[in-house]
Amino acid sequence: MEQFLAVWVDALALEQPDGSTLRDTLVLLDALDALCPFTEAVRLGLFVLPLRGPSRFFGGDAAVLDMVRQCVLDVVGVAPKLGVAEGLFCAELAAQREVIVPRGASDAFRRAQPLEVLGRKDLTTTCSRLGLHTVGAFADLASARVGERFNKHALTLHRVACGELTELEGQRDPRLARRLAQLRGEEEFFDEQQGFFGQRGAGDDRAEAAAHRVRRRLGADAIAVASLHGGRGPEDQGTLVPWGSPQAQARDLAPWPGRLAAPSPATTLAHPAPVQLRDAANRPVVMDARGTLSAEPAAVLFSSPLRREVVWYAGPWPLVERWWTRRRRRAHLQLVLATGEALLMVAESSRWWLVGIYD
Amino acid sequence: MGLGGLSLALSLVSEASAQGHWAAVVGVDDPGVVAMVELGVDLRRVLFVPRPRGAWAESAADLLDGVDLVLVRPPSRAGLIAARRLMDRVRERGTVLIALSEPRAPWPLPADLFFRVTQAEWVASSKLDARYLTVHVSGRGEAQRGSEHVVVVPNRRGRAEAN
Repeated sequence: MEQFLAVWVDALALEQPDGSTLRDTLVLLDALDALCPFTEAVRLGLFVLPLRGPSRFFGGDAAVLDMVRQCVLDVVGVAPKLGVAEGLFCAELAAQREVIVPRGASDAFRRAQPLEVLGRKDLTTTCSRLGLHTVGAFADLASARVGERFNKHALTLHRVACGELTELEGQRDPRLARRLAQLRGEEEFFDEQQGFFGQRGAGDDRAEAAAHRVRRRLGADAIAVASLHGGRGPEDQGTLVPWGSPQAQARDLAPWPGRLAAPSPATTLAHPAPVQLRDAANRPVVMDARGTLSAEPAAVLFSSPLRREVVWYAGPWPLVERWWTRRRRRAHLQLVLATGEALLMVAESSRWWLVGIYD
Repeated sequence: MGLGGLSLALSLVSEASAQGHWAAVVGVDDPGVVAMVELGVDLRRVLFVPRPRGAWAESAADLLDGVDLVLVRPPSRAGLIAARRLMDRVRERGTVLIALSEPRAPWPLPADLFFRVTQAEWVASSKLDARYLTVHVSGRGEAQRGSEHVVVVPNRRGRAEAN
């Protein structure tokens, strides 16, 4: 799961009646976003950003933390609390406690927390009578038992405790993105971008009600909307973002220029699968620094037993990467298999990834 | 992996979408949203439940109450009871349900229309341009006899088009 850097700025957590809190939030958000793209204001006082890209660019997590700390000091005048962990829920906790949770250790970190962090006094009280004091102890209850003993709300919290959901309900302020856009004077632009809050019809209300039902049934992350953004390949131009989240409200749906020409694959793998490409003599196909292939691809190997003959290919077309990965050289390649299936691959020197299926 | 069945289904979504209808896509875990745009789908009115896990039928039922078209890909073989309940809901609401299934796990009930991709052929220049899909259509009423059509996905307007 993705590691997030959470930035807690106490001075911005309580809204002042003069509007200064919101203005400062906007200034800080823009400053942080200039350093680390995809920074998000989750609610007043809390910002998060995906750590991996900036960490590569600035040469390590510690360097990013230093830059971010200095940035908050410069803009707001006070030092933030910083924390790193996987998922929004753990990342915020890490920031409150000012710890860097190592990759893969977020599960243990979450389980060790006192139950109060789930934010429900009634649950904490009932659980402590049962001798359950930590998130982990609560998570170990069978969900059927949770359903019997507690209310519906507790089932969602139980999924957060188990790590099935990565954020608490109410952790985000769904109106914040809109308010910030208003302040920027982008309200019109903002309205145009979204079906839900733009021109509303009866159909929009019905769809929203249905979306709420699904979210109650499956949890906060289960229902999503599509978002388009920059990138040279269909696999990184379009993603799903949780419905109702700030990213969903600020999503851009304009087609992006300079992309791989249509048609794009109907399936784009969120997690590309490593594959091997072989030539007619069964040697690995390698792409050199100028983007030329060592030989024509003849077969693709998915996992050891699954091998498919390649009957046609096109490319490679070099990709222009995001700014922090500029040193990497990658390219797209299209394959048609003897079975009639067509695939989109990405090459990174001698390694190949399946990123899309034209199914 | 398939021969264009998902693309065909998404192009059916685009027709509804172009007319301002809401649609939902359930159980398609890695939808190619760029492909959907190219096929003419208006993403402002599409909801996704990519990983409904065990609750795909319940999610689809919830969504049939609120949107005009639901595209569902059951993660495993669809049960008879779940399928019947969904189709009853479709009749009740006057909505459309498109179920994507593999030959080894077919939809357990007869549908009004049943599309089967029997052949796929790519048109390619220096890259993949379009695909001719041979689609066998059968079903109830007039469609009972069954017929075969060749469609191009995507055509010049980006949609699927019968030839």
